Amino acid sequence: MIEKVKFFFRVTGNNLWQFRTRNLFSVTIICLSFLTVGIFVSLTNNLRDTARDLASNMSIAFYLDAKLSAGAVDAVRQEIARPAFVESVKLVSAVEALERFRLNFPELADVVAGLKTNPFPPSLEVRVNARASASKEVVAFVEGMKKRPGVTDVLFNQDWVEKMQGFSRLAGAIGAFLGGILILTSFFIISNVVKLNVFARKNEIEILRLVGGTNLFIRIPFWLEGITLGLLGSLLSLGLLFIVIQLFPVYLGASLGALQELLRFRYPDLTQAVALLVGGAATGFIGSATSVSKFLKV
Amino acid sequence: MIELFHIWKQYQKPYWALSDVTLQINDGDFYFITGPSGSGKTTLLKTIFREILPTEGQILINGINILKVRDSRIYTLRRTMGLVFQDFRLMFHRTVFDNVAVPLQVIGVGRKEIRRRVFATLQKVNLHQKMWELPGRLSYGEQQRVAIARAVVNNPEIILADEPTGNLDPELAFEIITLFKEISKQGATVIIGSHDRELIRHFGDNILFLQKGKIVGKEAHR
Repeated sequence: MIEKVKFFFRVTGNNLWQFRTRNLFSVTIICLSFLTVGIFVSLTNNLRDTARDLASNMSIAFYLDAKLSAGAVDAVRQEIARPAFVESVKLVSAVEALERFRLNFPELADVVAGLKTNPFPPSLEVRVNARASASKEVVAFVEGMKKRPGVTDVLFNQDWVEKMQGFSRLAGAIGAFLGGILILTSFFIISNVVKLNVFARKNEIEILRLVGGTNLFIRIPFWLEGITLGLLGSLLSLGLLFIVIQLFPVYLGASLGALQELLRFRYPDLTQAVALLVGGAATGFIGSATSVSKFLKV
Repeated sequence: MIELFHIWKQYQKPYWALSDVTLQINDGDFYFITGPSGSGKTTLLKTIFREILPTEGQILINGINILKVRDSRIYTLRRTMGLVFQDFRLMFHRTVFDNVAVPLQVIGVGRKEIRRRVFATLQKVNLHQKMWELPGRLSYGEQQRVAIARAVVNNPEIILADEPTGNLDPELAFEIITLFKEISKQGATVIIGSHDRELIRHFGDNILFLQKGKIVGKEAHR
């Protein structure tokens, strides 16, 4: 058994070397296909993480009527704190709001100094738990509170979270679409390369058959060949992806300006990296298996 | 024992490559099949080997009908046979060693044992010094000897050889048939398709004469 395994690997190695030019071509195609998938995986990772960050930091500001009594403010506060998704409620008085403005915009200190009355209303700042951040429940709650007497306005950055999640989904979909097409192309290329290899070794296959080689014995080296090509291609694509992630911010990052944050690549995690490798091997295997079973009637 | 019952083979109408061939070859027999070109020698050997299927008839090898068995039995059967083809069927991008080692690799023999047996067999056909050459660099005669070495390396029970001395000089042809004869003495059945009258006269224990696919004569000298 061990001898046979060794034999299969030796034959596979010989075959890969014998048809190295066309095998190199097919590894390059697989590599480019999986690199495209990897780039989109990396972009999707970034957009998804950004959306998650936004969602976890999401706060809702309920602006209150300045004339509300302390008791009324407390009643609103209690009502806002009631839903389970509310993590904290903080009262920001009109004085605190003015102070914040002064600290955040020091260049406008003269304007603030010239004010005769405080234009900032008091507000209740609400932190919502990240899981429920853009849920219908929260939206319905906010809509309900908007109509409540004593609440003059609501600032809710739900749109941003939704947009970010939308971008993330879009990038994922584009990646899946382009990657799917390219992986399909790789699959056909591997299939054809193995087919050419099968034709080139027709004589050898015939000999193996005649000396008692089973179907499996003849097919295994071709399967191994496909798996090796797929694995090499996807491994190379992972290497290139890491280089792209390293070099992209150095060469193009600055020119992207505000988009830099959105188009930042993140390294694929271990599961994604393993999935890319397994995907490469599977593409190679399926490509070779279909061509061998079709063109190797033994 | 190899038994053929009423074998008919037609490649193209209206010609019959084999017509009603019935034959029995016992274990250890040394058999020559002879006849002019196109008489059906190669077809008969290929049929025994089940490389081609007859149009009609039955073939039994050691009591097993090889035309009705599952594929898995055919692989096993072929492993007990050694074949020498008229066109050698060598792997030209593999060394002489690799070519001869193939039947042993198929059955999973260890590498050391393969080396030992391949070397010993190549010595017998006087090619051990060219073990690492590619067949393309050898003469026709040498290529034929590689094919012969591949056929006998596995100590097969049955050897089927189609014109195994066709490209060899008389001296070497004599040596090769002597080698087949020795293998036969050890119990293997050897069937050789040839039209070399000199060799047949010298070695032919059993001779089958074919003409236009029909058996036209049999001789047994043992």
